[in-house]
Amino acid sequence: MSPKRKISLTEEELVLALRNREKIAADALYDMYSSSLFGVISRIITDTAIAEDVLQETFIKIWNSFSSYSAEKGRLFTWMVNIARNLSIDKVRSKDFKNQSKNHELENNVTFIDEQRNTVYKPELLGVKDLVEKLKPEQKIILELVYFKGYTHVEVSEELGVPLGTVKTRLRMAIIELRKYFN
Amino acid sequence: MEDVKAYIETGILELYVLGELSQDEKSQVEEMASKHPQIKAEIAEIERSLEAYAAANAVEPPDQLRDRVLNSLLTTFADDSKFPSKEFFENDIDDEVDEVVTPHDNVVALPAVKSGSFYKYAFAACLVALIASIAAIYSLNERLNDSYGQIASLQSRNQSFANRVNLLDNEINIFHDPAFKLIKLQGTPKTPASQLTVAWNPVKKKVMIDMQAMKLAANDEAHQYQLWAIVNGKPVDLGVFDAKPDSTGMIEMNPVANAAAFAVTLEKRGGVPSPTMSQMVVIATI
Repeated sequence: MSPKRKISLTEEELVLALRNREKIAADALYDMYSSSLFGVISRIITDTAIAEDVLQETFIKIWNSFSSYSAEKGRLFTWMVNIARNLSIDKVRSKDFKNQSKNHELENNVTFIDEQRNTVYKPELLGVKDLVEKLKPEQKIILELVYFKGYTHVEVSEELGVPLGTVKTRLRMAIIELRKYFN
Repeated sequence: MEDVKAYIETGILELYVLGELSQDEKSQVEEMASKHPQIKAEIAEIERSLEAYAAANAVEPPDQLRDRVLNSLLTTFADDSKFPSKEFFENDIDDEVDEVVTPHDNVVALPAVKSGSFYKYAFAACLVALIASIAAIYSLNERLNDSYGQIASLQSRNQSFANRVNLLDNEINIFHDPAFKLIKLQGTPKTPASQLTVAWNPVKKKVMIDMQAMKLAANDEAHQYQLWAIVNGKPVDLGVFDAKPDSTGMIEMNPVANAAAFAVTLEKRGGVPSPTMSQMVVIATI
């Protein structure tokens, strides 16, 4: 997949090295996770330069607040991708970003995300073809909105005009499809 | 077990993994997970599949970003103020990530502090090395300046030797040059022991006196010897000189082309326009 030599550690080794703040941990962290995190960030933030800034902020935050990660409560990637997603959403909703994007003053997040939506939904961004075929359209949309666009399930419910319970069910079904596919 | 299954089916675990729950809901899920391995396993499955999903949708960041990001991490290595990360919790109250994982300070504080002090020591070591280097440079600089001084004094001594060699060369040339006449001036009856050798080149009009072989009484501060040439019966002033016991070398006097005789008188310092005959000490006729 990659022609360059990249450092790869097991998750346990990486977590230990990160706790000890070893240099190799920073290298491995970047090599192992930068593309997955950048995939999420660059779908929430379409401006490449800003997306790159957010990737950098994400790694800095991971590095500096690593003491707050606990392996008992979940996988490392889950913790990191939530940092990436939150920083991305903060950026998209920040005043700076709105000014940069030359958007009008927006009243609330939902309408803002509505406006964002014209850059939003591109099914071809879902990388794996047969996976796309396995997911039902409504599952794909929910995954896309929640995972790659940073919508909360409440916002998805309003966006798609479906009840909250339905959003939760569809999200669960979509993730079950992913589990079948990947496991 | 039915309860557990129903709990899983609500879809709350997916929202938990996506970081969408409130602090209360999160604690609740974590409590359930600690009680029911099935829930814990379910969470792990959801996490794994979402991680794989993200990997399948990965976008490779540009190559140059790697150095930029890693450098920004490494600059925080030696910076104690950057961790622990309490300020993050204060600043990002609405940040759901920080709510997902509550800090376990007691577990991680030790290694973080440890490696922090390592960099402190490393920094101190660098500082010591820097000071030692500056001291070494300073002392080398001192020695370099000494060497420059020695070179300068050697050069000036060398120069004075060269001058002396030139002078002696000139003297030897005079003795070897057949055009030079060596005239021995003998003492007058008043000063029978006095003697002076004058080297005279009538062609080049050059007149030198040999200070080394001179036998004249040392003059005092108020007086000087004055050399005269007798040209066409009249005395011509060829200049004044001092006689000291340790005089060496030859000195050049005023030039003269035709001389019938040379004589030296003792005059007041600076010389006089015409010789005081009673003070004549040596004389020679050609």
